[in-house]
Amino acid sequence: MTEFLLGAAAFVLGTVALGLIRLLRGPGHADRMLAAQLLGTGGVAALLLLGVATGVGAIVEVALLLALLAAFASVAFVSGIHRPDGLGTASGTEHAAPGSSDENKRDTP
Amino acid sequence: MTRPKGAHSLIRVVVARWSAFFGFWLLLAGPGLNESVAKGLTTDLAANLAVGLLAAVAATWVSLRLLPPTPGRLHLAALARLALHFFWQSIVAGVDVARRAFDPRLPLKPGDLTFPTRLPPGTERAAFGAITSLMPGTLPVGTDDHDRLLYHCLDLDQPVAAGLARDEALMMRVRRGGNDRDD
Amino acid sequence: MNLALDILTIVAVSLGAIFFLAGTVGLLRFPDTLTRLHALTKADNLGLGLVVLGLLPQVSAPLAALGLLAVWLLALLSGATVGQLLAGTASAPDQDRAETPARHAGASHD
Repeated sequence: MTEFLLGAAAFVLGTVALGLIRLLRGPGHADRMLAAQLLGTGGVAALLLLGVATGVGAIVEVALLLALLAAFASVAFVSGIHRPDGLGTASGTEHAAPGSSDENKRDTP
Repeated sequence: MTRPKGAHSLIRVVVARWSAFFGFWLLLAGPGLNESVAKGLTTDLAANLAVGLLAAVAATWVSLRLLPPTPGRLHLAALARLALHFFWQSIVAGVDVARRAFDPRLPLKPGDLTFPTRLPPGTERAAFGAITSLMPGTLPVGTDDHDRLLYHCLDLDQPVAAGLARDEALMMRVRRGGNDRDD
Repeated sequence: MNLALDILTIVAVSLGAIFFLAGTVGLLRFPDTLTRLHALTKADNLGLGLVVLGLLPQVSAPLAALGLLAVWLLALLSGATVGQLLAGTASAPDQDRAETPARHAGASHD
């Protein structure tokens, strides 16, 4: 079972690493933040798997800390965007203009 | 001198929240505490518990400032129904998004939707936003000028608005009770 | 009994890993920020939930199991909250739009 859990941890870490391509590509700041968010959740999962596989209880606490830090990072990012000095405005997000639409009506481009 | 009417319930809220926070702290610190407990009532254990007690006090104080208690009670049966619905639908949401991600044709029909909600702004609406962000195909992006919620949808062919209305109805009953459709 | 629990672990953890892969694939393939956010929040939360479910039979102490659930609950809560916040910034290019005309008002010739 230990080998299986370690393998699963490696696999999850692999998907996180793959997701970091989004960090390189962007294009927006928010896209890059998504990759960081993925690192948070995926990292927590990998750490929990490692912790149970190795029986080192403290790893679970590291996972907890990572979850908290990932949340703080995103909150800091969002509040940074709304700062008046415009440091890191929400530029470059690819989302098409949020066309006004009534309930359940699609905004066709 | 008469005691202000809300004093009792405030004390109840404080005690309940403090207990919940301390319980949560015990849960997180549990493995470390077990070692101390094994050695008996040492100063080590006492110091550990003191930290936890204080942390719970701080957390209670912060929670009272950020999330003031609202009058009225929670309807636990409605809350349980909402929780069940939430767990099931979040599984559906995960499967739905995974299916789309793996599909070579990438079947997406993204778009925006406005949802006029009856939920009052504040805690309830924030909770509604958090819950619906994990529901199939919906993602709350904000509020418009007319106090309607704005949603981004993954697939506008899905009955997204109906799903939101159902979530809202379940949510309404948590604070207000009632079993029937109240409209 | 033990075998049944081990099978539960293997099935749940494997499914969880697949959902993590789905989250990554969605993050890379989906066309814009908001759709990527859909993929990430929903798939990863389910993946983490399944991983935690699969790990529960493998921990002996009940307190450790509760600890795993606590980590998952916190991740769920922060995922749902952060998802909303990020969606708010990703869908509001208003800030740029509000600034851009002012900045180019004098320069442009329209």
